[in-house]
Amino acid sequence: MQSVVDLIQLANRRLGTELTAHDAERELAEVPCWDSVHLLRLVGLLEAELGRPVPVAEVLEARTLDEIWTAVSGAVSDTALSGAVPA
Amino acid sequence: MTTRRDEAEARMRALHAAGALAASYPELAGLLTALDEAPPAAQPADDACDWAGRVLARLDPGEVLAAHPGTPVVRVAVTGRATAAGIVAPLTAQLARHGMLMIPYSGGHGGYVQELADPASGLYAHRPELTVCLLDPLTVWDRLPAPWQPYDVALEAERQRLLLAELAAAHRAHAPEGAVLVLNTVPLLRRFTHQLVSLDQRAELGAVWREFTADLLRMADPAAGVAVVDAEPLTASGIRADDPRLGVYADAPCTARLLAALARETAHLARARRGAAKKCLVLDLDGTLWDGVLAEDGPERVRAARSLRSGAFAAFRRIAEQLAAQGVLLAVCSKNDPEPVARALAAHPDWPLNADDFVSVVADWGPKADGIQKIAAELGISPSSVVFADDSVFEREAVRAAVPGAAVVPLDAEPALHGERLLADGWFDTPTLTREDRARADRYRQRERRERQRTRAADYAAFLRGLRIEASAAPAADGDTARIAQLTLRTNRFNLTGVRLTAAQVARRADDPAALVLAVRAADRFGDDGVVGAVLVHRDADGLHLENYVMSCRVLGRGIEDAVLAGLLRAARRDGLPAVHARWRPTAANEKLRGFLTGHGFTAVPDDDDDGGAIRCRHDLLHLPPAPDHIRLAFQWHSHLDRTGPPAHGRGSRSGGPADGRGSEGAGRQGSSRTESGGTRRSRGTRERA
Repeated sequence: MQSVVDLIQLANRRLGTELTAHDAERELAEVPCWDSVHLLRLVGLLEAELGRPVPVAEVLEARTLDEIWTAVSGAVSDTALSGAVPA
Repeated sequence: MTTRRDEAEARMRALHAAGALAASYPELAGLLTALDEAPPAAQPADDACDWAGRVLARLDPGEVLAAHPGTPVVRVAVTGRATAAGIVAPLTAQLARHGMLMIPYSGGHGGYVQELADPASGLYAHRPELTVCLLDPLTVWDRLPAPWQPYDVALEAERQRLLLAELAAAHRAHAPEGAVLVLNTVPLLRRFTHQLVSLDQRAELGAVWREFTADLLRMADPAAGVAVVDAEPLTASGIRADDPRLGVYADAPCTARLLAALARETAHLARARRGAAKKCLVLDLDGTLWDGVLAEDGPERVRAARSLRSGAFAAFRRIAEQLAAQGVLLAVCSKNDPEPVARALAAHPDWPLNADDFVSVVADWGPKADGIQKIAAELGISPSSVVFADDSVFEREAVRAAVPGAAVVPLDAEPALHGERLLADGWFDTPTLTREDRARADRYRQRERRERQRTRAADYAAFLRGLRIEASAAPAADGDTARIAQLTLRTNRFNLTGVRLTAAQVARRADDPAALVLAVRAADRFGDDGVVGAVLVHRDADGLHLENYVMSCRVLGRGIEDAVLAGLLRAARRDGLPAVHARWRPTAANEKLRGFLTGHGFTAVPDDDDDGGAIRCRHDLLHLPPAPDHIRLAFQWHSHLDRTGPPAHGRGSRSGGPADGRGSEGAGRQGSSRTESGGTRRSRGTRERA
């Protein structure tokens, strides 16, 4: 995964959402096809896709897809994170 | 290589992209079944199903019903201690996989106590048939202040259990009649057990928790509308119960896989509740029941324990034997010559499962779909009540294509996994097991003897007379309610209105002074069939209303269904009732009953309600249909309470009454003649009303 566009594609493919690149900056609460339940699932999907754990608290606190991507991509070098919980 | 699963996913994604999921709803069950099949090892098991659930959960049920009005609907409410909404999507997919359409209600966050206790809650406003109260792995622990001892856990667990018992009672009182509250046991997490450093206390905590689990499981009572899904077999199969991060950050402790597994079990429960349990397991032989190929190796070699794999096949045969002992009919459908099959299945002390365990064996070289149709016809069941297990992809696909509705179990070259595959979908699950279930295979064998006799008898009427059939219809006793509920659930062909009842609903009707539940029993010289049918009626000023009439397909064609209806009409006339009202409501399988009522002297009456194409009928009791003269019928609808006098309370013939069993058949007949000669004029219904 290289960018928030990949993250959007992942969500569309695995969560059945219809997000577009324009939704990246929108507040998730205002995105019609988004549901808070999706966010919980997205954590597991991201970890499976990236093959490493993501900072869950930051992802859950993110208000936009961009912020999720920042939280996730910023964690690449963070070796302090322990192993992911198998989905 | 493209698998069936990949094709199904591609098809489903195409339907989703085209916005055609609602329009194609009937097709989805097959696609979801394919999606659910074991994926390649590299792919996480539930991904495709998870996606499908999310997509389906966003469909408008109204749109599905507009396109397919006959789709069976399940109204489901979801609640829980923590966030429970995560189970909605997997449950939507699992119900769709079994052909049902979920109409969900997902409550407020963690408000299960208020939602279940308050009759005015949104949960009850949804009028759920199924309420899932999700107990996550933090249940009990969220209320324990540190530091704690095993004793504190025991106290808090007991409080939790008492609370759940109260909520279950509230659910029974406020949810629609027959609704089921689904609870689950709570997995015990290592991060709790290992907070105790002394091994003896840790063991004690384990024991305390298992007692809590056992108490929860003992709350399960189909008659009281409570079901409990045991989470331990699910976690033991390798499903992690919780994600501590989602638990603490989002109050959603359950993993997606645990939710998916609970949803799967809950859908089985919904299916069993609808009476969609399968009746017959049709097994292939080569590669399914034994190692090797009969036509090449011969009967002795396939039966010899000559490899490690033999033990795996033996274990699978024992599972089939175990199912058979609970009323699942076993049959064989094999591409082989009949004679070597008969030799291979001949009884042998060391060989679980032999010819006697199978109610039907088809061994020929025709298509297996034909074999299954033949087995179903022989047993008098619908081919869609069959579960077919085979290790050949070709045979499975052929059967899937030609026998709609039949369940197909994908076995493969690994016999050690046959058992898990067979049991994965709980095809034979039923709310309760009755005496009749355990004796079912014997009764089908009697039926077979009867059939042989029939083909010998030149004249069918003479054959029927030779059977010396004795039938009775009498108020249902306590012990009959489970069986009668099961008859309304499982009987499809002779089910006049398709009204299906739980045991609790049957018991309530039996207790209702204006209603009456009659159990129909039958026996003949080949054996006793036990309770084979039920008549549900209620009375009002217009006369008698026949709410439903069901008869097991096992006894159809012997005239018992005619005799009992004639008996009912006769009794209604003797009681001076103005008329008997009845209706036929079409279901997927009861088309043959369309003319049943008019064939017995009822006349169709115009009906303003559009009740799914139902035909309303009325019998004015002037000209009664003749009773078949080859049946001795004891018809009795007055319970002994009428004779003894105290107020009607509890069910009809609790003990010693004519409904209690074969031993009192004679008494039943006398009771009937006394009734018919006018000794007792009032039924329970009229007396209570008077």
